[in-house]
Formats: sequence, C-alpha cells, structure tokens
Amino acid sequence: MGTLLSEHERTTLVDLLRVAFPHDRFPVGPYQRTALAVVDAAAGNPRLHGLLLQGLADLDTQREVGFSNLDVETAQLVLRGIADTPFFTAVLDVAIVALYDDHEVWEILGYEGPSYDKGGYIDRGFNDLDWLPDPRIESWIDSTVDSTVDSNEEAPA
Amino acid sequence: MTRFEYDDSDVVVVVGSGAGGGTLANELCQRGFKTVVLEAGPHLTGPDYENDEWKAFAQMAWTDPRTASGSWEIARDFPNLPAWIVKAVGGTSTHWAGACPRFKPHELAARSVYGPLEGTTLLDWPITLSELAPYYDRAELKMGVTHRHGRPPLPANNNYKVFANGAEKVGYRDYATGPYATNAEPFDGRPASIQDGFNFQGDKHGSKWSTLVAELPKAEATGNLDLRPDSHVAQILHDADGRASGVLYVDRNGTMRRQRAAVVCVAGNSIETARLLLLSSSARFPDGLANSSGQVGRNYMRHTTATVWGQFDKPVRMYRGETMAGVIADESRLDTDRGFVGGYYMETISLGPAFFAKFVAPGSWGTSLAEIVDGYLNTAGMWIVGEDMPQETNRITLSKDTVDANGLPVADVHFDDHPNDVAMRRHGRQQGTAVYESVGATRTIQTLPYPSTHNLGTARMSARPRDGVVDRFGRAHDVPNLFVSDGSVFTTGAAANPTLTIVALAIRQADYIATEFRSTAR
Ligand SMILES: Cc1cc2nc3c(=O)[nH]c(=O)nc-3n(C[C@H](O)[C@H](O)[C@H](O)COP(=O)(O)OP(=O)(O)OC[C@H]3O[C@@H](n4cnc5c(N)ncnc54)[C@H](O)[C@@H]3O)c2cc1C
Repeated sequence: MGTLLSEHERTTLVDLLRVAFPHDRFPVGPYQRTALAVVDAAAGNPRLHGLLLQGLADLDTQREVGFSNLDVETAQLVLRGIADTPFFTAVLDVAIVALYDDHEVWEILGYEGPSYDKGGYIDRGFNDLDWLPDPRIESWIDSTVDSTVDSNEEAPA
Repeated sequence: MTRFEYDDSDVVVVVGSGAGGGTLANELCQRGFKTVVLEAGPHLTGPDYENDEWKAFAQMAWTDPRTASGSWEIARDFPNLPAWIVKAVGGTSTHWAGACPRFKPHELAARSVYGPLEGTTLLDWPITLSELAPYYDRAELKMGVTHRHGRPPLPANNNYKVFANGAEKVGYRDYATGPYATNAEPFDGRPASIQDGFNFQGDKHGSKWSTLVAELPKAEATGNLDLRPDSHVAQILHDADGRASGVLYVDRNGTMRRQRAAVVCVAGNSIETARLLLLSSSARFPDGLANSSGQVGRNYMRHTTATVWGQFDKPVRMYRGETMAGVIADESRLDTDRGFVGGYYMETISLGPAFFAKFVAPGSWGTSLAEIVDGYLNTAGMWIVGEDMPQETNRITLSKDTVDANGLPVADVHFDDHPNDVAMRRHGRQQGTAVYESVGATRTIQTLPYPSTHNLGTARMSARPRDGVVDRFGRAHDVPNLFVSDGSVFTTGAAANPTLTIVALAIRQADYIATEFRSTAR
C-alpha cells in the first residue's frame, strides 16, 4: 500500500524516533524499520496518514531550521512541546511496539528471543546468576505454629 | 469426537473452556454427564503457540472491543483493553503463570474480620475454609501443584535468586519457588519444564497445567464431551417456568445455533459472564438473567496490583526460565496495623523487551524510558498482588454505543480504586523496593497495574439472595438450573491468585450438580 509521505518526511520521521527513543547503542536500522512500521500502519488508516502528513510538516516549522538539522537538546525540547498532540501520541503508540520488537534491538539489549526450539534454558543458563548465593527454594516451615492446625482453623468471628 | 444433537435437552452446556469451565466440564464428563462446551475462541495447541510476546497476544488474547471507564489508570492508558483474557480453547489457563496460593481462613469472612469499611460492599463468603479444604486438596493433586502433596519445588531461576536473597535480607521468611502448577518433574503424562520462559505465551511444552492440556483431553476420553470451538454464546434462553432451556450461539461459519440444555453453566471469565447474563434479559428478567438483586456485574474486583523492577550493575537475565516462579508470602498475613485491611503476595515476574517497554511506564518516552530499557539485561521483576475491596460501583455494564462483530453490546468495565487499595499498593511498592535495594539495586522502577489478569466478583456468592447472584454452590438464586462456574462467584477477592480457588470451586460444583441432577450419559 502506498504512502503520500515524501522522502524528506520519512527521514524526518526516522530522526523524530531517534530523539524520542534515544539509545546510544542502537544503530539507525531499527529506527528505519520502526519508521516503516509507522508508515505501513498509516497506509490503511486515513486518520494516522493525515496526522503524519500534517505533523511532520509542522515539525519542520518549529525552529529556524528543519527538525533533522536541530541539535539533540533542541530537538528534545521541540518534542516536549508537541508531546500531547494526537500526532505525537499516535506515532509513539505504533513506534513503541515496533522498536522494541525489533530483533536487532533485542540482541543489543541482551534478550535472546524464542527459546523453545533451542530446548529452553534448562541447560542454557536459566540459573547462571552467580553474584548472589543460591537461596532456599522449599517452603518455610514456621515452627511457632502447627501448620496442619492452621489450615483448618476457622476465621475468628 | 462426540456430537450431541442441538435439540438434546439432556445435555449440560458449559460456556467457556478456561480454568472454571474446562475443569467443570471434565468433572461432569467423569460423572457421566453429556456435556457441551461452547468456546468463543479457536482450538489452538502447543505447536500453534508463538515464542513471541506480541504475536502470541495477537493470536490468543480477547481483542474484541471492550471499553473502560472510571478513575483507574487503565481507562487512560489502555481504554480498549481493560483486561488480559485469552479467547481460545483452554481460556486464560493457557496464558496463566500457575501461582497457586490458597485462601486463608479470615479471607472467607472478610466482612466479619475487616469490619464495615466505608465505601465497600464487603460480605462473608457463605462457605468456610474447612468446607473448601478437601477441594483444595483435589485441585492441587490434579494440577500437580509444586510444594504440595509431595510434589517437588521448581528450581531457582535467575529472577528468583535476586528476589529470594532480597527477601532474606529484609527479614522475610515465607518465600519459596512455589506453589506453582508447573511440573518440576514429569507428572500426569506431561513433561517437566524446560524453562523456556514463554509461560504467558501458552507454554508450548505443556508442563504447566491448563484445561487445554490436562482437563479437556480427559473429558474427551470419556466420550461425554462435545467441545465446540469458535462458538460465541449470545444469549441464555429460558422457558415459561423461568428455568434455563438452552443457549443461542454463533458458530464458526456465522450460523446461529440453539443448543437445548438441562443445565447451563457460565464460565466466561467475570467480565464476559456478567455481560452474558445482562444480555440474557427477557420480559420475565428485564434487568438480565439471575439479576433480581441488581448485583450482576457489580462488586467487580481485579486485585490490587503493581510491579516493582530492580536494576543492578550485573546481569540478571530474568527472561530465562519460568516467567513466574517465586512467592514471598509474609505480607499476606492478617495484620491491619499496616494501614490497610487485607494482605498481598509478592511474586517474580519477567517480561521480554517488547512488553517491558510498552508496560513499564505507559505513555513515557525520551531519556527516562530509554534508560530503563537500556537496563533490561540487569533487571529483576516482581509483581504485587493483594486483596482489593469490593465496591458496588465497580461494575460491568453493557456499552451503550459499542458493539462487537455480532452486533452485541460490549462490556464496559468501570473501576475506581478504594483508598484501601491505594494504601496497600503504596506499601507493596515500598516493600518491593526494599527487597531489591537490599541486594544492591542501583535503580528501582514502580509500574502501574497492567490490564486486569484477575477478574472477579461480578456474580458473587451470598447466603441471602438480595446480597449476590449465586448461592454457596454457584447456583443462581433466581434460576435453579443456571450455574456460574468461574471467578465471578468470588464474594471477596482474598490476596491469593484466584485460579486454584476457581478450580476447587468447579470440582465442588460438579459434585453438587451430580447430586441434584441425574446424570444423562448413555
Ligand atoms: C498473563 C496471566 C498470568 C496469570 N497468572 C496467574 C497465576 O499465576 N495464578 C492464578 O491463579 N491466576 C493467574 N492468571 C489468571 C487466570 O488465568 C484466571 O484466573 C483463569 O484463567 C480464570 O478462569 P475462567 O474460567 O474464569 O476464565 P478463562 O480461563 O479466561 O476462560 C474463559 C473462556 O470463556 C470464553 N468465553 C467468554 N465469553 C464467551 C461466550 N459468550 N461464549 C463462548 N465462550 C466465551 C473465553 O473465550 C475463554 O476461553 C493469569 C492470567 C494472565 C492473563
């Protein structure tokens, strides 16, 4: 499905996402794929499409230079200024799901994704944390009460 | 596969195949009842399930519209997703984590013990713990609950190691890796957990008890089960005497069907159960079926919940292993000196980055969110789950403007926190924070409640018909052959996760139905 967004607007969207979700460790790829997810979502959704067209155009008029040419602090300020607009919240809504569902992002964050086909983690470190002692796993037996009596006791009326 | 005639008026119809309905159906089939289970969702099994949070959610969650209103944050953050409920064979027992605490004696007598708390509709249950205890035993035995009846505990995973060490440091003693209804070793023809970490996504391995893997196959083997997936019940019908006569449902082809019945049992998970009763209004029952008291849909409870995350300077990898496999029970005690009535449990929880980022701080973005997500690898998590107060105005009603694909008004879920809920949540967050700080957390994060996973109270049990909807066996006060068989019947919520109690009550209800109604199978 098509989009009415220009090349420039799509670049602006990528830059918006980089400012809205600022991770030093993320390369541009995940942001580009997230922008694509937003554009795709708008393809069949006139409301989102309209918000994007107008919102991205507006973004460029906030300062003397276009959004993509702003330094990070100014760009953040600009976003804070539009944080409550339907445009920005609609972009966030789609983007937060897409960005953190990106497998390259998972890898950077240290998440290993599907595990069942690899036999789970039973032999692959489900309990490999070694900076704390191994704790008790059995139930605690309270020696001050007789637990068999306790479980049959009626409520105090 | 067994099929009964649409006009066979000897069958028991069970609406919903989840923890309540699936268990009841099996228990009835074992007792020789011809049982028709109508399940709105599809029949998916382990190989269909996704090891992926959003895919699994899209595949199985109830995403038909619902609306939310009231002052709870959910109405703002997730206005069309007030609850996380599964729409598939097995219901939410496919996505549940398996935590299985029992109620405590005082929790069945909340009104007597807590007193008349302003703004609440607290009421004592019409049953006591000693009546329930044998059914808890039977439920734990069938579910293979760890730490009970000689079943071995689950091993400590990474998330638990942080949690339990923190518990010990702050002086808690009542902590363990269970009780959970997940196999630490093979049991009941199902394998031991391989710690794959995708419990909330349906557990492909089948180590976790669900009605899909444990109850329905046994029911099927009796020849008494007619399981009909993709069958959405639109209305319960009644005869001239005011007895339930069957149900109208829409099958997978969109065809309207009437199934006649001797007994109708509703287990749609509180929100849908109340909705169905309200939709089943008639000249004789103008406010909805079984609703002469006006209590259907009221006293909706969802447990007081919160999540606390601790971030450390070393890796945790909470996602490896069982999603939940740790309980601290110290705060579940009866102790009104903490500034609130009722107690709460702390339970380990893990989310993948996709859900973590979405739910950790709804609506947030920028550096504050990015810093939290950057710490994902070093994050440990716990969920707080405690008793919330029943209130008359916390309520399921039929939406006046939103309908589902069948044109049926959807459920509106209205909820306001009671001051007691707020005080308990504050306490729980404080204590959870202390647990993680005691083992060196460099940052702790307090997350708001998620869409409700525990949905209770909308057709509550009461001794007197005017105070509730069903009697001590879950039988409607107004309609002698209509039963409610899920968490809707909870008079009060207790601190315990509800499913063990739902299962225990379903077994008890089956015993009762078997004495009251003749078994009908060949
Ligand atoms: C992520 C998660 C984790 C959880 N962890 C725990 C835990 O650790 N411990 C615990 O005790 N509980 C837990 N729960 C809660 C537990 O899943 C529920 O308490 C339990 O499944 C409720 O059983 P039920 O029979 O009432 O409803 P469900 O299991 O939800 O089943 C209801 C079924 O009815 C069907 N239905 C509804 N309306 C209709 C209709 N009109 N026609 C036909 N079918 C219909 C639905 O599609 C559904 O399949 C968890 C839940 C979630 C979501």
